[in-house]
Amino acid sequence: MMVTVQRSGGFAGLTRTWQVDVAAEPDTESWLVLLDLVPWSEAPAPTQPVQPDRFVWVISAETSPAKKAKLPEQQVTGPWRELVDRVREVSDAERAGERGAAHDPTAPGHGA
Amino acid sequence: MTRYIVPPYLLAHLAAADTERFARAPEAARHGLLQIDEVRAARSEAPPVRQGAVARGAEVERTISDAQGTEQLPGVRVRGEGEPAGDDVAVTEAYDALGATHALFREVYGRSSIDGAGLPLDATVHYGQDYDNAFWNGERMVFGDGDGEVFGRFTASVSVIGHELAHGVTQYTANLEYQGQSGALNESVSDVFGALVEQHLFDQTAEQATWLIGEGLFTEAVEGRALRSMSAPGTAYDDDVLGKDPQPAHMDDYVETTDDNGGVHLNSGIPNRAFFLVADALGGRAWERAGQVWYDTLVGGELSPTASFAEFAAATVSAAAARYGADSEEARATAAGWQGVGVGVEPAA
Repeated sequence: MMVTVQRSGGFAGLTRTWQVDVAAEPDTESWLVLLDLVPWSEAPAPTQPVQPDRFVWVISAETSPAKKAKLPEQQVTGPWRELVDRVREVSDAERAGERGAAHDPTAPGHGA
Repeated sequence: MTRYIVPPYLLAHLAAADTERFARAPEAARHGLLQIDEVRAARSEAPPVRQGAVARGAEVERTISDAQGTEQLPGVRVRGEGEPAGDDVAVTEAYDALGATHALFREVYGRSSIDGAGLPLDATVHYGQDYDNAFWNGERMVFGDGDGEVFGRFTASVSVIGHELAHGVTQYTANLEYQGQSGALNESVSDVFGALVEQHLFDQTAEQATWLIGEGLFTEAVEGRALRSMSAPGTAYDDDVLGKDPQPAHMDDYVETTDDNGGVHLNSGIPNRAFFLVADALGGRAWERAGQVWYDTLVGGELSPTASFAEFAAATVSAAAARYGADSEEARATAAGWQGVGVGVEPAA
């Protein structure tokens, strides 16, 4: 079950994406708890003044039903921040692991 | 000007008084004495008024703060106006570039700081962890240190600081809405004045300028000179990890997207190139004529906050005609610049 966070905008205007298949993670249960804590229906909060060059986040989860939220950076706080940070951390670690395995022919194959 | 009823010698006497008899008076007197000292120091430091001196409030007033890797603003105050540089290069870069930005707007356009009324210039550096961004939050500029892989610190390019402060100028003037075409214009205006701050600082003509935005932000690992090119949008970088600079240079390639508030950092390439074409056609120092037309447009009061490229283009031609004449080289170059990027605009004459 994919959870995806996409970050666009920022001064550089680059779009980056991080993704985790939470069903394949050893601690799926804690992911599901976090996904439940996140206030999907309250995002984004009523309009506040736009801050130029801040990031824009789109967070989506293949839950049943599927969930999706678009948030300005300033509103990525509390459980949102926790979810985003966690997806990024796990996704970056997995990508780094894949790169390591790709360069080392003697390393065990990467399961995910 | 603060006046004190109780004379200093009496305050001093009270300050030393027996605190068993008077609970608060001695402390209050000590505070009063400190304030008098501060007022006296300020009076002795104030420069004498010279014939032709600029009005109070026209001098830059900079304060740099350090968020120390947290996301708390403003952070710890580390350098104020007139204080010497320390070891922190991000602080020095922010301080110097704030000064360069203030100088462009004051010396060239007669504008006293961002709001035209001497607003103090505040910046916070070392924001967040691995934070690869800089932004204007409506009150101050905030800079991250980059992630060390793709980006270094965001104070490393004068154009970035000029860009962020220019968002403040736009906020106080045309207030272009930060989405869709008006948002791309908002972004472009920031790139224009960011580039002009740098060019003015280094006294470069349009021919000598790089027309690059964010040069020096990337690490050595990245295949790219800068984040954006105003003269050749779409050519600033081409890297395995980042991809290729996606900016369009012409209306034919305008990007419809829901990312990035409707692609404000993408489609800014089109008005950026229009400005470059005007500056290139006129030659010489771009802030003097092309920049003047753009500045007049921003403060002219004719733009709607939801202006499209076409509306903005028409306003620039109008502004050029108003300042230089309908059949002037400047008005013709302005119209031609927009035509060059496929934005239809009527010439002034």
